Amino acid sequence: MTVRGTDAGIYLEGVCPIEDAEPLLQLLLADPEATVDWAACDLAHGAIVQILLASRARLIGPPKGVFLRDYVALALAHARA
Amino acid sequence: MNEFLEQFLVESRELVEQAAGDLLALEENPQDSDRLDGAFRAFHTLKGAAGIVDFHAMGRALHAAEDVLSRLRTGQTPVSPKLISDSLTCLDLVVQWLDAMQETGEVPNDAEAAADAIVARFTDAGDAAAGPPAQAVPTQWIEGLLEKYPAQAARARVAVRYSPDANCFFRGEDPLALMEVLPGLLALDLEPDQPFPALDTLDPFACNLVLTALSSASAEMIVQAFEGRAGQVVLKPLAASSDTQQGDLPPHARGLIEAQLLLLLEPSNEGAAGRLAAAGRVSANVLRHLGRVDEARWIEQASAGSDGLRKALEAILAGAPIGATETAGVGATPSHDASARVLRVDVERIDALVKLTGELTVAKNALGYTAALAQDGGDPKALAAALKDQQALFERLINELQQSVFSIRVLPLRHVFQRFPRLVRDMAASVGKSVRLITEGDATEADKAIVESLFEPLLHMVRNALDHGVETEQQRLDAGKPAIATIHLRGSRNGEHVLIDVEDDGRGVDVAGVRRVAAERGVASAEALAAMADEEIAELIFAPGFSTASEVTDLSGRGVGMDAVRAAVGRLGGRVSLANRPGLGARVRLTLPFTMMMTRLMTVEAGGQMFGIPMDAVVETVKVARERIVPVGAARAFVLRDRTLPLIDLAEALGERRAASPKTDANVVVVSIGAELGSLEVDRLGERIDVMLKPMDGLLSGMPGVAGTTLLGDGRVLIVLDLQELLQ
Repeated sequence: MTVRGTDAGIYLEGVCPIEDAEPLLQLLLADPEATVDWAACDLAHGAIVQILLASRARLIGPPKGVFLRDYVALALAHARA
Repeated sequence: MNEFLEQFLVESRELVEQAAGDLLALEENPQDSDRLDGAFRAFHTLKGAAGIVDFHAMGRALHAAEDVLSRLRTGQTPVSPKLISDSLTCLDLVVQWLDAMQETGEVPNDAEAAADAIVARFTDAGDAAAGPPAQAVPTQWIEGLLEKYPAQAARARVAVRYSPDANCFFRGEDPLALMEVLPGLLALDLEPDQPFPALDTLDPFACNLVLTALSSASAEMIVQAFEGRAGQVVLKPLAASSDTQQGDLPPHARGLIEAQLLLLLEPSNEGAAGRLAAAGRVSANVLRHLGRVDEARWIEQASAGSDGLRKALEAILAGAPIGATETAGVGATPSHDASARVLRVDVERIDALVKLTGELTVAKNALGYTAALAQDGGDPKALAAALKDQQALFERLINELQQSVFSIRVLPLRHVFQRFPRLVRDMAASVGKSVRLITEGDATEADKAIVESLFEPLLHMVRNALDHGVETEQQRLDAGKPAIATIHLRGSRNGEHVLIDVEDDGRGVDVAGVRRVAAERGVASAEALAAMADEEIAELIFAPGFSTASEVTDLSGRGVGMDAVRAAVGRLGGRVSLANRPGLGARVRLTLPFTMMMTRLMTVEAGGQMFGIPMDAVVETVKVARERIVPVGAARAFVLRDRTLPLIDLAEALGERRAASPKTDANVVVVSIGAELGSLEVDRLGERIDVMLKPMDGLLSGMPGVAGTTLLGDGRVLIVLDLQELLQ
């Protein structure tokens, strides 16, 4: 599983496909305050990023994947500002 | 999908092609009322077809276009490039819908919005025919984007706004992934299309994203990246402030990168790999620190080989724009492959097959009769004669059957040619040159597989002609040529081969320049270069990694183009040649086999085993006396007509040990691979046969030097060699 919820927060790891969108959303609904740690995330589907954008979840990073780190993380930070 | 819809898709695609052709011709010659009528009729018929399958959005979009065309016909509105562009955009949208329908079998349900956009375009056009282009839509997003990313804004050439439809996730698309591979991506921004609902009512599988981006690539490249999504993308070219700033590295950064370059130039010895990685990392970090993220990634990618990294660093220091890496430059062309899935076959060709089936049945019955005779102990001589007759009959029938089946598999070159007028129009506009494309012989037929793989090599060739061959208008006038350059795209049939020429009337290949650069880059040794004739020098543009353009441009990538053409054409069993007329132009010719199904082979025996060599590669066979073969280092060579040919022992090359050097003369097959000659020593020469080659699969597919297998008449397996791999 590339998305996993723990007591310490939610973790995104490796390449997160669209199938992770539903479980991620459920985890965030269960605990709206949860942090999302994507430091080990190489790539995420647009649907995952959409949930991160919509939920404004606190992110712990920077993500491992170059595209996520250089572009997506910035875009999410701007959207929050 | 029901038959009705299938028919609709096939017909609509044909109509779209016809309409696009007419529109482009009309742009060339606005007075051509036949073409205008043709375009009008095609739009009208398309609209009718849309009505039949209850596709109202398509009907609306086409109706708007038809209205404008009808005004053109009555002379109320003059033909303008914008109107042509709008009509072409409308056709792009239709193709996109057709693709979606082909996949799902249903009318796309997001079509209404896209149709609205098209209708809006045309109503604007009608109200103010000569008005500004339809980019007058709100452009706040651009300002917002530029404000958020000031560092990247300076180098951006295009701003893109991509609004994927809500169902795109369901279709397996990922808009974010599309952005990741966007050529020259500088900055990305994400926002919701509609404000997000509360999290517990959010549908995770409905895409509600609007993706905006800044890119340093040309608008043409971005358009290509978004091919097939015309209705969802807004492009806005930005003031080109970039080119001067691009090369401006701050002094400290320049110093650092130069130091890395020096490090790479040191003679390679131990630790070279570590040095390479370090140099790549340092340079990438420097660039990333400056906010030049795309270049940093490019450097990281180039760090795989010292040559690649060295060239990348030199390019950065020289201030060459990083339009796109090669992979992106090739352009995404997925949607078009769908168009040839349905073949329209002339009914006469089917009738010929039916007739052949009848004749084969008769021949089969005759064979049964002969078999009965043999069983009853008939005269062996008479039986043999009858069998021979029947074998001859079968041979003739099977020959005809093959011909008939091939003729069903052939497609006219029009399939690939028809995409070029549009591409050349866009590419020429993006480099600011005036070019006219003339296609000839587009009815020439070739195997479906070949026609369908031709697009990419031809695109490289046309791009190269446009970029390197064709001069600017001023240069042309100075040289006493017409201001508008001409590129010919020509197809013709020559025996068992199909010839495709891309010919321009530009400056031709600069032989002296090629010679100099080839020496600098070590493409060949100085002595070899000195001995080469001008024609041979010009052919070096096909050598891997060669590029004569002093400046790397978006258009023809980084010198991988012509190399890629040779490789792609080689895979199809063809070859590339160049006819250069310095100052007057150049012609690149592809010589391709007519069909890929049959291969003519020569069989040879080596190490007690039979092998097939593709006849195309065989130049001649000779007997060579042992004393004429001289060892050269670890290899062997001999001289044939004043030319030294390397000699490879086939049995040894395939891993068999040669027992002892035989006394007799060596049987040698001289083969050509690309432009080089080589030779193979074999035990025995066999015969010529035509076979259907089966590519290797499963465990054997990884075997080097083997192109495929086929069955011989006696049931033995014949291994067909891939000489290219074998002799390298």
